[in-house]
Amino acid sequence: MMRTVEVLLVIVIITGAFIISSFYAVLPQPRRVSPINLRRLALTTLQTLDTDHDLSLTAFKPSDDSSWANLEIALSACLPPNIVYNLTVYDVLSSYATLYSVYKSMSNVQNLGVGSDASSYLVASSNVTFQFTPEKIGGGVTLYILNCSDANGWWITGYTAQKFAEDLNTLLSPYFQNTIMVQDTTQLAKILNGIPLKNESLQNAVVINTFGEAVPIPGNYCLGGDHQSEGYEPHYDPVPPMTFNYTRYCYTLGKITRQFNWTWASVVGYPFYYVSNTQVFANDQNTYGIYGMQKVYQGGLNAFLQGMDNQNYAYNSQLPTVNTTSIIAHLSTTTQYYCNYYGIYPTLYQTSTRALNGSILYTTYHLNVTTYIFDPVGNQIAGAVYRNITKASGGFLALGLTRTPDIRLTALGLLCDYKPNLQPSDPTASGTSKLVILQLGQVGGV
Amino acid sequence: MTGTTIDHLVAVIVFLGVILLFISLFNQTIQTAIIYQRHRYLATKCSDLLDDILLNPGYPTDWGKLNLTPTSFGLQDPEFTEYRLSPFSLMRLQSLTGTPFTYPRTGATYSNISMGFGNFLFVPYTEAINYSMASQLLGTNNTYGFQLTITPTITVSINETHAANPLTLTIRVAGTGFPLSNALVSYCFLNVTEKGPQKNPSYSSLFNTTYTDNEGLAVATIPNVDADNAYAFIAYAHMSGLVGTGYHERVTGYKEYVLPLIDSFEEKQVLLVHSYNVHDFSPPESSVFFNATFVLLTEDFTLREMPMENSIGKLDKVVYGQGTKEQYATLTIPTYNPGILIVAYESNNKSGVVLMPWGISSMAFPVSFGNDLSGREWVATDMRQVMVNNIAYQAKLALWSLEGYQVTS
Repeated sequence: MMRTVEVLLVIVIITGAFIISSFYAVLPQPRRVSPINLRRLALTTLQTLDTDHDLSLTAFKPSDDSSWANLEIALSACLPPNIVYNLTVYDVLSSYATLYSVYKSMSNVQNLGVGSDASSYLVASSNVTFQFTPEKIGGGVTLYILNCSDANGWWITGYTAQKFAEDLNTLLSPYFQNTIMVQDTTQLAKILNGIPLKNESLQNAVVINTFGEAVPIPGNYCLGGDHQSEGYEPHYDPVPPMTFNYTRYCYTLGKITRQFNWTWASVVGYPFYYVSNTQVFANDQNTYGIYGMQKVYQGGLNAFLQGMDNQNYAYNSQLPTVNTTSIIAHLSTTTQYYCNYYGIYPTLYQTSTRALNGSILYTTYHLNVTTYIFDPVGNQIAGAVYRNITKASGGFLALGLTRTPDIRLTALGLLCDYKPNLQPSDPTASGTSKLVILQLGQVGGV
Repeated sequence: MTGTTIDHLVAVIVFLGVILLFISLFNQTIQTAIIYQRHRYLATKCSDLLDDILLNPGYPTDWGKLNLTPTSFGLQDPEFTEYRLSPFSLMRLQSLTGTPFTYPRTGATYSNISMGFGNFLFVPYTEAINYSMASQLLGTNNTYGFQLTITPTITVSINETHAANPLTLTIRVAGTGFPLSNALVSYCFLNVTEKGPQKNPSYSSLFNTTYTDNEGLAVATIPNVDADNAYAFIAYAHMSGLVGTGYHERVTGYKEYVLPLIDSFEEKQVLLVHSYNVHDFSPPESSVFFNATFVLLTEDFTLREMPMENSIGKLDKVVYGQGTKEQYATLTIPTYNPGILIVAYESNNKSGVVLMPWGISSMAFPVSFGNDLSGREWVATDMRQVMVNNIAYQAKLALWSLEGYQVTS
């Protein structure tokens, strides 16, 4: 009898355990077992209503405008009958105390119940243009664009230096404190002599030579000029058998680049291959029929680099600083990243026939690459920015691509090297945006 | 002693009985909880899979416009982000509901996505993506079954309320939950003119706009239309980002007509075939003369005609058992912009007009793709609002498990 009583006690205990566990093990409502993803449905509904920017336009209309009624009709029409909603539009305030305040609300039910979910959507006013404000490079760096009307270019076939100057001005002027077009060689002579054109700072400037393989030369650096000794020095070169008179001018440019810590940019081809002045060299041509220039030949680049490296001038046309083998150069990963950042999209690969020899630049002229515009192919560098390894002054951007140049690459190379920030306008500034929240709930069933 | 033994026996029997009873009771609770978890997981999987399909263009990204089979399945329009679907990828889905047929002249079997007489869309099986292929590409093969339906959010239905002089058409615009009042309706009316026996018909077009009233109704009145005129009427209703489309045709020739069959997405080629070649009616029937045009849906939802080569032609008399002299005509759609191929036809003094969407959205055709969901134990569903070339659609996915215990009812 005792055992039976014990078993009865066990039954009571187990029954109690079952009742208690059943009490706590509450199974969810069938609707919650397999719910519709209301959050996603709300988001896609808002996106649909804003397809033609109708939602954005309505959100900024007065709260008694008839377009709100249309929005309500469209909202009711596009949701299934068993879905109820509450759409609320909030003003975005600049005050830190209250960030959002209700502007307009519409709903087809008093209470959405506990099973609702919501999505938010930020709409912008059509009167507001979001833009990026570029940071000025170096605080007050000057950009000089050589736009000399008394010089001719080479390897810029189909364009003019003036057209390139105009495009560069559009692309780069937002990033510089001062952008100055050097309109003729007289103005070029001034800045070479350390005289600013518009009270700008000469130090740390960027100088872009838009004349391709030619570089403008002021008349006073030519034979008979008051700076003749800095520009003119005849040198007979047996290979090819020819006299080159203006290699020293390139050396002077290198020296000045170092002196003022300029960054000299060559946009295409073989840098410093010709000097150009349409008045002084009116009867000279570059052997291809372009008058107003004289050939400097391969010694020009070496002379410039000597000047930049503070070496003594010595005519040298034999050092193969430029490799004329044709290669296909691909934009470096860094450059591709900055393509997206600055919104400049040149072709990802280009043909290079005037790539610079990286090892010569390093060993002979003590130049390090600070920015690879293109990935190097062996020792050949199709496009890069170089600076002195001892951090002495001066920089050199060279794009050894074949003609005709894509001027955007020059702009991109400079931006990649200086990396100015872009400051986006604040989309949450008061009056520019409204926050729309659509809350959905399900009715019917259990 | 005997009493003690009996006491033990009774106690043990009662104890075992009670234990079994409670094991059974607890088991039911646990089983219900496990099934709940499985169903809950299925619902999550359904939502994820729907996003996978709708937010991914597949690979190649423009597979909807190519003849090849994609190596990754997705329906997003590659030119957009968010929930915007490609009107051409949707066209390549093998229809679950339409009855397929085989065209004996080419031997090709066609997926039938048509919406009744005159509103045809036939895609060859060789170009269509079937459920098995999609399931493999999505990684749900043998684990989950699904059915995807893409239906237009806005329904535009058109009824003829007065047959002639003037022709009066009532346009009813409604959403899934409410009529669309005060919506702008822009429409295109194409009137077919018979040119006499053995001649190609011509057509004239009329464009206009109207608004729906509080009940979502609008009336279009077309003057100078006779009761025996064949015509096509296409309407677009739009309001606050919601756009829907509807169509209506009147034909006098129901036996000899033109069937447009898509031949190649990549080449943008469509075959025009004689209805007798498909349905194999008997006895032999007359030639069908046609005049085709392609209308492009512009951004403001008006229709613009585009010139098309070989748009006028003849499908020769069907000689029973031998086919036609000229088996079919081939048209090349001039663009990948969605639009409508309109073919006016005439045979034996009977005429009509058939429409075919180029891009599923231009005629707001619904799409039903996947497997039959009947007989499944638990089906999870989820939905999204999507856009197909600016036409509002709702995408619903039904998903069920093919693995585990009790997956069929």
